[in-house]
Amino acid sequence: MKKFEDLKTRLRIAKSKIDKKSINNNNKSSSSLGIAMKLSTEMVAAVVVGTIIGFILDTWFDSKPWFIIIFFFVGVVAGITNVIRSAKLMQK
Amino acid sequence: MAANPMHQFNVYRIGPEIKLGTLDISFTNASLFMALSSLTIIILFFLGIKKKTIIPNKIQLLTELSYTFVSKMISDTAGSKAKPYFGLIFSLFMFVLFCNMLGMIPYSFTVTSHIIVTFVLAAFIFIGVTIIGFLKHGLGYLKLFVPSGVPSLLLPLIIVIEVISYLSRPVSLSVRLFANMMAGHTMLKVFGGFVISLGLIGGWLPLSFSVALTGLEILVAFLQAYVFAILTCIYLNDALNLHH
Repeated sequence: MKKFEDLKTRLRIAKSKIDKKSINNNNKSSSSLGIAMKLSTEMVAAVVVGTIIGFILDTWFDSKPWFIIIFFFVGVVAGITNVIRSAKLMQK
Repeated sequence: MAANPMHQFNVYRIGPEIKLGTLDISFTNASLFMALSSLTIIILFFLGIKKKTIIPNKIQLLTELSYTFVSKMISDTAGSKAKPYFGLIFSLFMFVLFCNMLGMIPYSFTVTSHIIVTFVLAAFIFIGVTIIGFLKHGLGYLKLFVPSGVPSLLLPLIIVIEVISYLSRPVSLSVRLFANMMAGHTMLKVFGGFVISLGLIGGWLPLSFSVALTGLEILVAFLQAYVFAILTCIYLNDALNLHH
């Protein structure tokens, strides 16, 4: 039983330490490396998806290269909105 | 064999060739490592929850820590409504983490450095989340593509942009994991090659780089599994709590 009492006090001390810590760096994000990677892929992926959609539409309607051009730029816009959105999410 | 840094990503058959119609479903080294990582998780958790003691041993502590880690992640990002999906996110996180970590063992194979593996995982998440969204909200889920406060003249353009950004989710999710793992492992191999080619005199610098990179790669392996799981939570949050 003595062991448990000892553990209880140790647990309490450790918990209060953790609480203090989490108050201190509450707003700090987990890792800047992950954030950098996330933003860049977000941008690229939207452009790729837009171009693929444009390519599919072009082969459907036989209208090369108009849909690719349009959807490439729409993809760029979507990528930028994605980046802004996830950056806003990180700042929260 | 060691000269080509891309050689480590080769998929080859282990055992006999199995064909299903025209489909080649033979057991490869990729399947071996996927099976190995699943098996490791199962064994770890079997050992971890076998003896439930108040003062946990190391394995029990590890399993309990991973449980609370994932459950805190879900409640932080997706709220209490996402609790029923704990099993999905936990197994996803553990699978990706163990695939990444088993890949860090020398001479092993990194499953997640292949885009098809990560893309299938991401596509399953994407389809699943979309189905959950439609089940919860019906056709109201389509409101996700129509942000509020947009002039009706711009609406067609905005909807196309929103649809593209929605469709780009699985691509960005899979490309991120794949690119990180492949770039890291290629870099490790290249620096390893430098050690050999520079020999006993000049080889020490790339060797120290290699050691540092290995540490960084272990960090990246954990971080990418974490990012994969947390983004799944965020997408799930979009599907469960619809607000725009």
